[in-house]
Amino acid sequence: MHRLYNSLEPRVMDEDMLKLAVGEQGPREEAGQLARQEGILFKDVLSLRLDFQNILRIDSLWEFENLTKLQLDNNIIEKIEGLEQLVHLVWLDLSFNNIEAIEGLDTLVNLEDLSLFNNRISKIDSLDALVKLQVLSLGNNQIGNMMNIIYLRRFKDLRTLSLSGNPIAESEDYKMFVCAYLPDLVYLDFHRIDDHMKEMAESKHQYSIDELKHRENLIQSRLEDEQAQQEELEKHKAAFVEHLNGSFLFDSMYTEDVEGNKLAYLPGVSELLQAYKDKFVIICLNIFEYGLKQQEKRKLELDTFNECVQEAIQENQEQGKHRIAKFEEKHLLSLNAIRDESELTNFEMKIVEYGKDIMELFNVLMTLEMQLVEQLEETINMFERNIIDLVALFIENVQSLMAQCRDLENHHHEKLLEISINTLEKILKGDVDEDLPDDLRPLFVDKDTIFNAVGASHDIHLLKIDNREDELVTRANSWCTHLVDTIHKNEIMRNRRRVKEINQYIDHMQNELDSLECSDVID
Amino acid sequence: MEVLKEKVEEEAAATEQAEVAERGEKLLRPLDARREEAPMTQEMLRDLEKKLSEIEIVVPEQPLTFTKDSIDISKLPLSYQSNTLKEEHLLQVADNFSRQYSHLCPDRVPLFLHPLNECEVPKFVSTTIRPTLMPYPELYNWDSCAQFVSDFLSMVPLPDPLKPPSHLYSSTTVLKHQKGNCFDFSTLLCSMLIGAGYDAYCINGYGSQDLCHMDLTRDVCPLTMKHKEMVREEEKVPSKKYAIKPPRDLSSRFEQEQEMKKQEEMKGQEEKQRREEEARLLEVEKAKIDPLHGLRVHSWVVVLSGKREVPESFFIDPFTARSYSTQDDHFLGIESLWNHKNYWINMQDCWNGCKDLIFDLGDPVRWEYLLLGTDKSHLSLTEEEDDGMNDDDDVENLGKEDEDKSFDMPPSWVEQIEISPEAFETRCPSGKKVIQYKRAKLEKWAPYLNSNGLVCRLTTYEDLECTKTLEIKEWYQNREDMLELKHINKSTGLNIDYFKPGHPQALRAHSYVSMQPEMDRVMEFYETARVDGLVKREETPSSMTEHYRGRSDFLSYRHVDFGPRVKKLSLNSAESNPRPMVKITERFSRNPKKPADEDVAERAFLIQEERIQLRYHCRDDHITASKREFLRRTEVDSKGNKIIMTPDMCISFEVEPMEHTKKLLYQYEAMMKLRNEEKLSRHQAWESELEVLEILKLQEEEDDAHTLAISIYDTKRNEKSKEYREAMERVMHEEHLRQVEAQLDYLAPFLAQLPPGNKLTRWQAMCIKDECLSDFKQRLIDKANLIQACFEKETQELQKKQQWYQENQVTLTAEDEDWYLSYCSQAMFRIRILEQRLNRHKELAPLKYLALEEKLHKDPRLVEFLKVFV
Repeated sequence: MHRLYNSLEPRVMDEDMLKLAVGEQGPREEAGQLARQEGILFKDVLSLRLDFQNILRIDSLWEFENLTKLQLDNNIIEKIEGLEQLVHLVWLDLSFNNIEAIEGLDTLVNLEDLSLFNNRISKIDSLDALVKLQVLSLGNNQIGNMMNIIYLRRFKDLRTLSLSGNPIAESEDYKMFVCAYLPDLVYLDFHRIDDHMKEMAESKHQYSIDELKHRENLIQSRLEDEQAQQEELEKHKAAFVEHLNGSFLFDSMYTEDVEGNKLAYLPGVSELLQAYKDKFVIICLNIFEYGLKQQEKRKLELDTFNECVQEAIQENQEQGKHRIAKFEEKHLLSLNAIRDESELTNFEMKIVEYGKDIMELFNVLMTLEMQLVEQLEETINMFERNIIDLVALFIENVQSLMAQCRDLENHHHEKLLEISINTLEKILKGDVDEDLPDDLRPLFVDKDTIFNAVGASHDIHLLKIDNREDELVTRANSWCTHLVDTIHKNEIMRNRRRVKEINQYIDHMQNELDSLECSDVID
Repeated sequence: MEVLKEKVEEEAAATEQAEVAERGEKLLRPLDARREEAPMTQEMLRDLEKKLSEIEIVVPEQPLTFTKDSIDISKLPLSYQSNTLKEEHLLQVADNFSRQYSHLCPDRVPLFLHPLNECEVPKFVSTTIRPTLMPYPELYNWDSCAQFVSDFLSMVPLPDPLKPPSHLYSSTTVLKHQKGNCFDFSTLLCSMLIGAGYDAYCINGYGSQDLCHMDLTRDVCPLTMKHKEMVREEEKVPSKKYAIKPPRDLSSRFEQEQEMKKQEEMKGQEEKQRREEEARLLEVEKAKIDPLHGLRVHSWVVVLSGKREVPESFFIDPFTARSYSTQDDHFLGIESLWNHKNYWINMQDCWNGCKDLIFDLGDPVRWEYLLLGTDKSHLSLTEEEDDGMNDDDDVENLGKEDEDKSFDMPPSWVEQIEISPEAFETRCPSGKKVIQYKRAKLEKWAPYLNSNGLVCRLTTYEDLECTKTLEIKEWYQNREDMLELKHINKSTGLNIDYFKPGHPQALRAHSYVSMQPEMDRVMEFYETARVDGLVKREETPSSMTEHYRGRSDFLSYRHVDFGPRVKKLSLNSAESNPRPMVKITERFSRNPKKPADEDVAERAFLIQEERIQLRYHCRDDHITASKREFLRRTEVDSKGNKIIMTPDMCISFEVEPMEHTKKLLYQYEAMMKLRNEEKLSRHQAWESELEVLEILKLQEEEDDAHTLAISIYDTKRNEKSKEYREAMERVMHEEHLRQVEAQLDYLAPFLAQLPPGNKLTRWQAMCIKDECLSDFKQRLIDKANLIQACFEKETQELQKKQQWYQENQVTLTAEDEDWYLSYCSQAMFRIRILEQRLNRHKELAPLKYLALEEKLHKDPRLVEFLKVFV
């Protein structure tokens, strides 16, 4: 823009440049000396300043994983890129660059302060991921549409905004508009918004804001509804009985059943169908309620189990902690005693004694752990048995209910067949009803055709019911096995961790003892 | 029945005679008292008589008799001095009732129906009760009411411990003199309780010796009794389905049993010893048997269940304000009871004290009533049964027969009971009261009576004779430093002061042996009132421990160890030469925002060893915690460069080793931070020490010169507001005077001379004006003359004196000369003043005259006439 950036060669962000910057901005004095001695890893750097470097392209920043503050102002950057890895970034300064569009910020969910001052941005967007945004500086850009401000309404924490130097800021209504549409804003263009101003703005734009609010609320409530429905469905799925609280299964039986739909037009069939549907739905509802109840039961079982196991582990931990605390008290004393001891024989005796103490602690801790493992194993096995029984019972009962469905279907099939044959006979006799639909007529040619049609419909229905049953059974079983597996695996993991922890601790103690010995031998 | 009726008529005819007879009977009462217990043998009677005579000597020794001489009868209202018609009628009814009663129950004591009041007028006992609701919210509940009565009145024993008194004074008189016997006590208490809505009754009955003499020396002081800890049994949680099984117990059961047996044996022996000890103690404490047991007349109050949510009937002893169950051993029998509406006689046998009595006043078999038609009739029996029983028992119909059914109790003759706020606050007579309990003495004072705010002191003794003090508890009120209770344990020398919220340093309790700094003490604080959240500070001569709660930096504990003080030559006070700190240990509670590995749980600064030890919090699922130890040595390496940081300066154990913590830079920064924090901790510890000194100083000052805080609502004591109020009143008064003066009509005397009713004529108006003016002129001249006369008199006298002085100058003594000189100067002063006044008068007189003239011109009554004239 008005800066003569051409006068200098554009530079590339490379390793050397970054190292230099890190070195310059690192710790000072004694700490700096240490830092130089050891070298600083990029991932330990929390804040980095790269201003006035004539950088054209953001690059090589992926190593700075933990960076929280990044200054890239006064460069000639044209595109926001290469920042995807810096997810901990809180503070980002990109002012005085040549950026034309906001982009590449979708991963920076922790960003609170964003400065894009003095760029070439004409539209505010792509900021959706920045839910924590508090300060946004967009002055000296080319934003020309007031509607951009409405976009900013989604940032609930936004308190400071600067837009001066944009085309929209020249409009008379600019301030009022911003104040009215962003009521939570405290500072606009580095000035505090006074209450009087807020009131005026509110009254001026009241109607349009109310409308906007109404629309937002509607969207919000719709979203919430959907969420609630989703949750409900999830709950049902967890109970393996989703969509069974209505005629969903029944309807699905007839969606692919061409013949069945045709046959429904036979006289007397529609009534039959209605009665069939009612009974079927009642059974479905039974399954559904039973499923939910069983789910509650399983949940309760699981909760009790978890609680008990947690308690046991907690108690065991307390015991372990107590042991260690006791040991440490003693340990401090004996360490001091060993240090003070001058006579060699005594010294060695004490060392041996201390080593014994450590071994004893190890034994005690390991015994505790083994005890817990045994106890838990017993409990887990018991739980496993119970939960498998529960699931088996559930499956059994559902199966019996499903069998009822099948019976209904068979019954319906027989009735339908009877009606069909009667109709066929009538047709063959020439005693035809006038109102028989045209697409039904081809079915009533001879006995085989109609038999086949009705049979096909029956088969489809049975298949649907079987499928639903199979799905339920497999899912329930797999849930059960998965649960049991996880519990076992978790227990094993826990045991491993604890054993490792104990070993680590004992090793540390032993090392300390060894070093003591060594130092004394040297002395 | 018929016979009875006739008898009634007969007796009604000869009321006068009967009355006389009854009086006579009253005198014979001691006999009745003895007759009360029928199965007594002659020997016992004699024995009793003997003992009785022994006792009689003791009673008059009590100097606190409440004589009538001290009461000014003339000032009492009319209702005290005479009976209304209705009251007379009631007395007749009562007499009649009494006669029938003595006829039917000849072996019982005459009734206590109408003792004389302070004006020697017989008054029925029920009318002496004046139900009053006191204007003090404190007196709304029975316990505080009883406490007040027992505090406010001092006890006077009955003139004859075996008889009810001959006089029963009104509660107003009793309150005025602040003393009375048990009947006065219970009448007053009953009036207050009934006023507060309780179903309360006065009882005339028999009590134990302790009760009648208000002797609490064999009772344990209620204040010393420990509150029984409500031991709430932890509800056994039903063992959950998946609770783990405990590890198998491998110890021998036989050995356990043997151990148990041994212990039980030991316990049994101890128990036995203890029981023997207790028995011995009881023996000592047991009082000698009272020869008059069961004959001592006492009066107390019973509160029946039903009203004011009283769940169960109970007795209140008005002397001690204690409540007793109706089964208590102290109460040995009831003759009769009454409230402001009716009078009941107990027809139940009292062989077992009051234990078997049933307080169903509607049951005429058990309680014979005097007046019919009161609302007290919750008899549980059915009507038929009732009638059947009536036929058996002729006592039943005593009350019903002889009076018209609509007769009810006349209103009380007693004036409204009033207690002034001053009296209410002072409570005890002259503001002080002492009660002797078993092994304890309780002293009470009115607030503001003691200059240090002491209101109550409880002294507990080791022995029954009260010679060895065990501990002293002192309660304070209105202290500016909010001291509430001082607990001094004499055996250990430990003092504990308890404070109410509001102490400048938010002190809650302070226990100490000596007030010297750097000694053993424990201070507790109101942590919410303090910025630093300090809860408790414990001190020993070489350490100080502080506990905190609710701090934003999660500090919960700080322990400072001090070394011996280094002798300094220059200054040697505690402030300028603090003890060197050896070790500071600080503990922090878990900060949920930090991961456990970075959240320090305990850090110890070993100051002299230049060592810093850190222990981190334990992770939720771990049993070991990270540790780190910094050695702060500043060393120089072989080349002479200062070593900033070496790996052996930081020894650490990490539960889960992390990469960045291994770096020297990290360790260096951590150490630098810790060094700063060490300085801060040292400073805070030093400040704590200073604070202790300050608190001690404050307490000392407060003990030396105590000022009591006065509530702004306390209009009597708040001097400032009192002054202000008085000033306001004075101003108001002056204003009022001025207004009165302004309203003084200067024309009134002149207008009065004119014939009334006529309208003023112009001539008259002129006359009045002139007269008024001339009158005023005359007054001014008179005044001037008066001053002149005074002046001349003074001068003459002075001249005379001077002459006398000059004549006798030679013979005068020094005293006379002095006297003369002082007289001269005084006389000169007077003369000068008079002269000034005269001059002033001369100046002002014309002005005043003109002012009056002006005023007259403007006077609304004269103005129209004068205007025309002018």
